[in-house]
Amino acid sequence: MSRILLLIVVVFSSCFRSFAVDYLTEVKPLLEEKCGACHGVLKQESGLRLDAGSLVRLGSEDGSILDVAHPLQSRLIKRVTTTDLSQRMPPEGQGASLNDRQINILVKWIELGATSPVDESVITSPKQHWSYQRPVKRPLPITESNPALHNPIDAWMLAKRRETGLVSTPQADPETLLRRVYLDVIGLPPTIEQQDQWLEQPDPKNWSKLVDKLLDDPAYGEKWGRHWMDVWRYSDWDGYKEEVRGSQPHIWHWRDWIVQSLNEDKGYDEMVAEMLAGDEIAPEDINTLRATGFLVRNFHKSNRDIWLDATVEHTAKAFLGMTIACARCHDHKYDPISQQEYYSLRAVFEPHSVRTERLPDHPDTSKQGLPRAYDADLAAKTYLYVRGNEKNPDKNRPLEPNVPSIVGTTFQVDSILLPTVASHPFMREHIQAENVARLREELKQASAAVTSHTEGHSPPIARQSLAVAKANLKSAELRWSATKARLLSESNASELAVQAANAERSLQFQQSLLSVLKHRAAVTAAKESAQTDEAKKKQAIDAAEKQLAESDKQLVEASVKLVESDTNFTPVGDSYPTTSTGRRTALAKWIVHPDNPLTARVAINHLWLRIFGEPLVENVFDFGLRSSQPVQHELLDWLAVEFVDNQWSMKHIHRLILNSRTYQLSSSLEHIETAVLQRNLSIDSTNHYYWRANVRRLEAEGVRDSLLSVAGSLDRAMGGADIDYQDGETNNRRSLYFRHAYEKQMQLLVTFDAANPTDCYRRSESIIPQQSLAMANSPLAMDQARILSQRIGKEIIDDNAFVNAAFRSILCRRASDIELSTCLHFLKKQTNLLNDKSVLLSAGVAKATVEPAAESALRARENLIHVLMNHNDFVTVR
Amino acid sequence: MSIKTTSDQNKTICDQHRRGFLQDLGLGFGSIALSSLLRTDASARSAVPGFAPRAKNVIWLFMIGGASHMETFDPKPMLTKFAGKTIDETPHGGVLKSPYLANERVVAFDPNNGFIRNEIYPLQIGYGHRGESGIEISDWFPHLSQCADDLCLIRSMWTEDSNHGAQLQFHTGRHRVDGFFPTIGSWATYGLGSLNENLPQFVVMGTPVADCCGGQECHRANYLGPQFDGVPLDVDSDTPLPYAAPPAGVFQEEQAGEFELLRQLHQLSSNQFPDDESLRARIRSYELAFRMQTAVPEVVRLNDESELTRRQYGLDQNETKVFGQQMLTARRLVERGVRFVQVYHGSNGGAGHWDSHSGLKANHSKLCRQTDQPIAALLMDLKQRGLLDETLVVWATEFGRTPGAQSSDGRDHHPYGFSVWMAGGGVRGGIAHGATDELGFHAVENRHYVTDIHATLLYQLGLNSQELVVEGRQRLEKDFGHVIHDILC
Repeated sequence: MSRILLLIVVVFSSCFRSFAVDYLTEVKPLLEEKCGACHGVLKQESGLRLDAGSLVRLGSEDGSILDVAHPLQSRLIKRVTTTDLSQRMPPEGQGASLNDRQINILVKWIELGATSPVDESVITSPKQHWSYQRPVKRPLPITESNPALHNPIDAWMLAKRRETGLVSTPQADPETLLRRVYLDVIGLPPTIEQQDQWLEQPDPKNWSKLVDKLLDDPAYGEKWGRHWMDVWRYSDWDGYKEEVRGSQPHIWHWRDWIVQSLNEDKGYDEMVAEMLAGDEIAPEDINTLRATGFLVRNFHKSNRDIWLDATVEHTAKAFLGMTIACARCHDHKYDPISQQEYYSLRAVFEPHSVRTERLPDHPDTSKQGLPRAYDADLAAKTYLYVRGNEKNPDKNRPLEPNVPSIVGTTFQVDSILLPTVASHPFMREHIQAENVARLREELKQASAAVTSHTEGHSPPIARQSLAVAKANLKSAELRWSATKARLLSESNASELAVQAANAERSLQFQQSLLSVLKHRAAVTAAKESAQTDEAKKKQAIDAAEKQLAESDKQLVEASVKLVESDTNFTPVGDSYPTTSTGRRTALAKWIVHPDNPLTARVAINHLWLRIFGEPLVENVFDFGLRSSQPVQHELLDWLAVEFVDNQWSMKHIHRLILNSRTYQLSSSLEHIETAVLQRNLSIDSTNHYYWRANVRRLEAEGVRDSLLSVAGSLDRAMGGADIDYQDGETNNRRSLYFRHAYEKQMQLLVTFDAANPTDCYRRSESIIPQQSLAMANSPLAMDQARILSQRIGKEIIDDNAFVNAAFRSILCRRASDIELSTCLHFLKKQTNLLNDKSVLLSAGVAKATVEPAAESALRARENLIHVLMNHNDFVTVR
Repeated sequence: MSIKTTSDQNKTICDQHRRGFLQDLGLGFGSIALSSLLRTDASARSAVPGFAPRAKNVIWLFMIGGASHMETFDPKPMLTKFAGKTIDETPHGGVLKSPYLANERVVAFDPNNGFIRNEIYPLQIGYGHRGESGIEISDWFPHLSQCADDLCLIRSMWTEDSNHGAQLQFHTGRHRVDGFFPTIGSWATYGLGSLNENLPQFVVMGTPVADCCGGQECHRANYLGPQFDGVPLDVDSDTPLPYAAPPAGVFQEEQAGEFELLRQLHQLSSNQFPDDESLRARIRSYELAFRMQTAVPEVVRLNDESELTRRQYGLDQNETKVFGQQMLTARRLVERGVRFVQVYHGSNGGAGHWDSHSGLKANHSKLCRQTDQPIAALLMDLKQRGLLDETLVVWATEFGRTPGAQSSDGRDHHPYGFSVWMAGGGVRGGIAHGATDELGFHAVENRHYVTDIHATLLYQLGLNSQELVVEGRQRLEKDFGHVIHDILC
């Protein structure tokens, strides 16, 4: 203890003069982190709560823990600094001890009087936490007839700014605004034509029309589909060689469902429900079944616990902003969620599994099919794992499916009777038709092989192949009839079963006979072979004779069986349970119930984050007790209710946001008075109050897609199977269509912070030299620069106009005068440089597809285009 | 302003009053800024108070597949004595009832491997007392034995995974089932930053762990963000780093011209947006990128080394050439200030070459030959250049191998007791720390979970592992590990 105290004293004198302690940003988070689990609204060890300043001052059941006159004598300080481990807080195993800096903060805070804001809210029950209260639309704070305030977002924002004395930046200039909205809505920058169209009359009426037009563009679904793919953890299959270890092949159907649903503006509530329970809601509908990719994605070959844990964890995080996974081993430390509730939620998913549905025209499901979820084991039991240890399930108490009680809405499970094609997928009409057609085709070919010979001269193998093909078709037809008759309990079911079984035995007999003929021919061939090595020849003959003997034996067995008669035929396809537990439907209904306080808020927060670059609630996947009430709480709630009231239409929310002045503010500080600016910065340097637009970096897909788009190379084809991630620099499809899985990601996208396929609720925005290297050296950027240069150059001869067209194509703005002159100077200088290539040093290695221009002046232009593609503004949304 | 170094969680990396400074210095690459802070500011987030870092760099050697502790650094004569007997027939049958057995966690049952093997398999190689210290090292390491007095053997490691997911576990401290987490190299660079701005700060060489066993997640930064990922460096290639050179046909002067124009245009923008920190970071990242293009090829230009040095590292022999090149490059990297160099040995696209379920003798003797001379050359070279004091070299593997025989001449996976070693960087040389029991079965004395190695390494770098926490990402007690103070100078 003395060592620590000594240090405190030393640091005191050197450090504290320069930094005062702020309760809200320093003390409160510290106490929450270190002490929250045992001294908060959930748990009050020794009657002590430390989750509000007033409660700290109140002390514990043993009295005050603060001594303002002698801070170091405060019990609070003593307990966190003592060397007696039985006394020290946090207790061993419950978190690291406080370090000197953290102790300093507490000491200083006490010394300064242990003050805290008077209006700091104190809740007496976890239920009172803001996010567990049903959101309500409070009356708009400003109802002046100012048309600028017709948008409720602006009304809330302005009210807050007025309270704080902040003044917003003006509206961004039309060029900046246009690029911003294009990138935000469709993920692609506007072309020069699109820029011209807007700049002709950049007024609010045209803006609204533009917003509508962009939201109607199918590219909207691609751009926003990728966002939701982050949150919903889209992953293509991963595995070693051909072995599928995680997710499933063909899961891209789910991706396409996401894109299409967004474009149709399907309600968020419907989307959530279909993802969790599409197989129960619309069991026959292939289109809806695609949605269950959300569950399929969690498939984990080696371990069912990992599979279900991921399902539970991410369902709760994605839709509810709830970190329920913390309750897997023990009751949640910070939120009112018990360990039992964790396993009850797991019980919702316990029966489900994954299978691949056969699609029309694709009989081979390994090549194409629809991976989907279904309830496979209706009787599967869920047990609580004691301390989270899967080796130690509490088998005395199987758990019923349920949901965390803190949310409060009703959860009602009703079992669902499935239609025939859901439990017997072979009953889909196309399957019988395709299978029989395929056998008829085989028969036709076998028949043709026989008739190609003069009658009586066809080889025995060809004739027997024809017999097999006939038997095969007959067997298949009878098996279909018998399978259906049995399924529908028709009166002739057993008669058909006998016939089908007979036909199957005939088929087997004919196949055995064919096999004997083939092996006989093989023996003859071996004997007549030109092999000169006698030993080898004998070996080959022996092997062939051995196989012949084996097939002779099978033929005898098959002929003996011909006299049997029973009903044991092979059904034409697999059958599955005829009911589904309805648990997931119940969960879905509970999640999207208008009374669920979390769902709409969490969704709005995700939408907001991806337009403004910052969320309203800082931690997008944790709305629990550690998530303090956001600054824009009223706005969040207003939007959440508006969302639900408008059929959970995401486009409606987009429209509200994009048409707001808040969205259209300038990010630049150029046109704001210095004094005002300084005041703004001193009040809110982090822009919590949205007094300006945030400058954002384009997401990885936006960088690559923009490169292709500005050069006119982007292939706008939509949907379809995942494309090899290694083809990203040569295949011009949009980035979301490339394989994206553990160990299978495009390097270029990874460099720009692509989503981590296992978990990405929010992208990072790093700035690293590898990004610069990628933009400067990737064959992709080089190719696109050369293509664009040629394209512009086709119509424009004049360098002046070229530079301007280049700026407008790539950065979507005109060059400033000084930029123009800088670029013109560059073109001259670079042309001169390139004129004598014999003195230049080669630098390159990798292979570009498009050759550089032969003429120096044209090559210099390509260089200029390439530079603009490397410009910070190209990867930035201003 | 909304510009961040990386995800929201990482914002805490820079305290409010340091933010501007950090951002000015180029956020991503990084923690350049943070490193300066840590060296000048004793109250920095993760520094060990009152402690001057002993090491600046780490070279982390990882043998993929599970090297036998009994045939490398932990002699167990009892195995030879009781060869052929079952464990129960020896006086040490108690090992099979040890509570330590409960530490094992299995991802997926493997019917072939990952069992306790009962029939004792004798030692496959002799041992000798090495150096003045006399620590025992097997005869398969004749070169390394000459460095014995610099080695600190740790013979009491244990881990949880009895299958090769343990490779991931050694790097993240977490069992494969728990998912992916930042690795030790990324934590170190996250805490410290770079000493050389022209090179990546966390470099990876050798074919990485296969995706069965953690794959690239064994050197990635996960939630710390891509700037702390290990950057793979291909020593034997025209393009040692992805995108490190432009496409063929581009001239150096041509590209220099482009970079100059880009600089000018960025400067103009920065006049227009004086408060745009991300723009300033972008400008800097291009400067670094341009210099990296030169620095990276330079660092792998091993022909610059003397013939003698190249021979010492075994570059003249087929068996040692590949690993020798990597060891020599490792030295060149730390010499230039790269913080963390991670080198994999023994990748075979699956569990790893060291995984000797059968034919252990042939296998290990060969793999030891591939690595012995290059590693010894590295240690001696570092020492001779005065770099060993500030470079911590770690030799590790995911687990040991069973005292009992598998398929008559091999050993199975063994997570209950195994060996690693450290050298340099303020670690005591010529000692053997900790011990397994008579059979080499359980670590029994000074037991260490894998993260104890992490904590020790971080401590020597001047970092307190307990402080390496990112908001919103919970770390468990076992993630932090405990510093092994006994082995420090």
